[in-house]
Amino acid sequence: MLRRALPFVVLALSAVAQDAPVVYRGAQLWPGDGAPIADAVLVIQNGRVQNVGGKSTTIPDGARIVECAGAVITPGLIDAAWAGPVPVADANEQSTEITPSLHVLDNLDPQHPAFARVRNTGVTTVHLMPGTRSVMGGLSAVLQTWASDPTSMVLRDEATLRLVLGAEPSMGNRAIRGGSVDSIYYRRPTTRMGVIWSARRAFFDAKEQIAETQGGQKTTRTAQEQRDLSVLARVLQGTLPLVTTARSEQDLRTALRLAAEFGYTPVIDEAQDAYMVVDELQKSRVVVMVAAPSANAVGGPAGQDGAEPRYSTLKKLQDAGVPFVITTGTNQNAVDLVREAMFAHRFGLTREQALAAVTTQPAALLAIQDRKGRLAAGMDADFVVWSTDPFDPASTPTTVVIRGTDTTQKP
Amino acid sequence: MTSTRESQTKTALSAFLFSALVAASANAQGLVAVKGGSVHTMHGAVIENATVLIENGRISKIGPVAEIEVPWEAKVLDATGKVVLPTYILAHSQGGVRGANERMENVAFVKIADALDPSSPFFEDCLRSGVGTVHAIPGNQTLLGGAGIVVRPFGRTVEDMAVSTQSGLKLSLQAQGGGRLLQIRKLRRALDDAREYLADFDRRKAEFEKEQKALAIDKDKKWTEEWDRTKKPILDLLQKKTRGWLYVPGSAEVPEAMRLQDELDLVLVLGPQVHRAIDALKACKHPVVLDETLEFFETDPETREETKIRLAKLIHDAGIPFALSLGQGGPTSYPWWQLAACVRQGIDAKTAYAALTTVPAQLLSMQDQIGTLEVGKLGNLQITTGDPMQATTWVETVVLEGEVVYERSRDQRLKYLLEASTTGTSASGSK
Repeated sequence: MLRRALPFVVLALSAVAQDAPVVYRGAQLWPGDGAPIADAVLVIQNGRVQNVGGKSTTIPDGARIVECAGAVITPGLIDAAWAGPVPVADANEQSTEITPSLHVLDNLDPQHPAFARVRNTGVTTVHLMPGTRSVMGGLSAVLQTWASDPTSMVLRDEATLRLVLGAEPSMGNRAIRGGSVDSIYYRRPTTRMGVIWSARRAFFDAKEQIAETQGGQKTTRTAQEQRDLSVLARVLQGTLPLVTTARSEQDLRTALRLAAEFGYTPVIDEAQDAYMVVDELQKSRVVVMVAAPSANAVGGPAGQDGAEPRYSTLKKLQDAGVPFVITTGTNQNAVDLVREAMFAHRFGLTREQALAAVTTQPAALLAIQDRKGRLAAGMDADFVVWSTDPFDPASTPTTVVIRGTDTTQKP
Repeated sequence: MTSTRESQTKTALSAFLFSALVAASANAQGLVAVKGGSVHTMHGAVIENATVLIENGRISKIGPVAEIEVPWEAKVLDATGKVVLPTYILAHSQGGVRGANERMENVAFVKIADALDPSSPFFEDCLRSGVGTVHAIPGNQTLLGGAGIVVRPFGRTVEDMAVSTQSGLKLSLQAQGGGRLLQIRKLRRALDDAREYLADFDRRKAEFEKEQKALAIDKDKKWTEEWDRTKKPILDLLQKKTRGWLYVPGSAEVPEAMRLQDELDLVLVLGPQVHRAIDALKACKHPVVLDETLEFFETDPETREETKIRLAKLIHDAGIPFALSLGQGGPTSYPWWQLAACVRQGIDAKTAYAALTTVPAQLLSMQDQIGTLEVGKLGNLQITTGDPMQATTWVETVVLEGEVVYERSRDQRLKYLLEASTTGTSASGSK
């Protein structure tokens, strides 16, 4: 339903009247790229940043001024792997393992209180993916955590496709041996190698379909099969990123091997064991999403993947020049995204690096960098006013602004 | 292959313990001078550039560097540019315990000391976080759960670690299988049984003495009946010789807890969901122990609107002194995280620090021994790299009773987590 409503978003936006400019003055401002600006002036109008600068920046006539002395302003944070609560995001279609053409948006309840909750922690944009119990669960979406109406929350539909490696997709599956055959647990695969075979077979089929289409042959596949395979074809042709969830070292290596076999560049997700395969990640030129750097263990069913997180992971990726993003991911012990970045800082990243990993880096990964992730003229006015240094565990977001609207006043 | 990992862990652990022990034995019983730090005594103002002198395990002098002469034979720990504060105290913990709840409910006679595992990584983590005193006590899944023990998180045996075995008895109002009312009834019944036994014992003894006086019993015969050992801890509780630690899971159990408090010497250990009974808790006779979950969301069943409950702030605003608990993993297991959570909720730093130092010391009746840095108290202190509430701060050194028991430079496990090599052996070995 949301997807069909998308064209109206444009109409809704253009209907916004000219607002008076608002100036946030006196805070220390971290633009997302580059050095912090002391005693900054941030001018916003019509949902966008009009100007950012130091003390001497011109304040437009008629502007409403918000004094922020002592506070710190950062761009709105972007969680590139937000699990959300069960009704929003635990989208695990169990009828079959490979469902590439499902849309996570069809599972979305835009009124869910989880959006208000995550927004109040300073997160203004989230990447919502299907759950991790299917091999290929479907297509993700990029959402704002607030908008004037639910349809405007959607920034990008079909942002990525998710592939999950490791023990999780086969967990609980059983071979049919009598009993009630309509149990959802009677499905394949039942092992790690079966998971990878499922993915591989899907790609073989997609290649076949590409060849058939190019050769002008008549296909024998059903419309549904064709639709699924066309999604995979986009991955193979490099127009749709494949987020590959891989936690342990062996799964990380498999993710790269599979990508090399079929010739695409994946985005690696979760990646707790990335510190063991830094060189390979660097050579493959992948972006790595690291979930919950605060955790020194993986809890829940994902714990069975055998990953052993280390505090040093992000520092090692940074030193090797592997681009990375910090997310909350599927770890149930994950804390607020800003605190995850704080832990990354504790474990060796600079403030700028840690902040970039939850702002500019995820914006680039999700292809919204022309609107989100930085505070510069022309960008969306998505930002957070923190009571003090956001890397102080006692800090709180006092104001969260999305597209120029102070959402703390409109919960 | 799991065994490989286990053996590696064990090797790392024993290496750590060994290095720590060597460090400890070098200056045992001697003089230790912690010099040049910014000393947060938790008692009065911060003393900048100060020396803390520890002699035979106790603090003998504290003051500005210029005013305190350090004896030549003292081991000097340079704390210049660092922060010195007392080690933290956990008022209520099940860390480092294997099996914190006996399956039978009325087991006041068991002792948590028998379930304590000195080689548990928990105790290592304690030192790494600056915790110097742990009150281990049976868990909440019980009725009358047994006796606690106060330990220091250092030593190879429970005897090495023990500080006090007189810490008290665990009671819980957490429903076990049945409902809340059944749990209350069971607890009342157990207490009444003990009361009856006590009265019966006293009556028999009085009769014996009466008969002896009337010469019906031989004059030389002695009253030999001993207390029933399974009941003795409850009798001590009834006679207020022992302190009880009552777990109160939610608001609904608070009224009963307050009634029990009138009869017994009880410390209330609160669950997270007590926010609807704050007013009733104002009548607590001792400070309360807070759950490790200091904030959570409550959803309105009608509107689905969520409210953030900031428990520490609510308790503090009601004027109730409190001690903090630590979680068993994740950020809440770090004292700095819990302290900062209090400050984030709007509590002053002094009160937050008290919740891990002076308040738990008072609850353990050890306020004259631990909790502050004062002359005459035990030489239990930590040296941190900076503000103890910041994420970028690390515990450098922990001193317990004048012994250096932890040094970050020798912390093998921390090194392992922070500097894991990209081609480490565990990569192929543990999978």
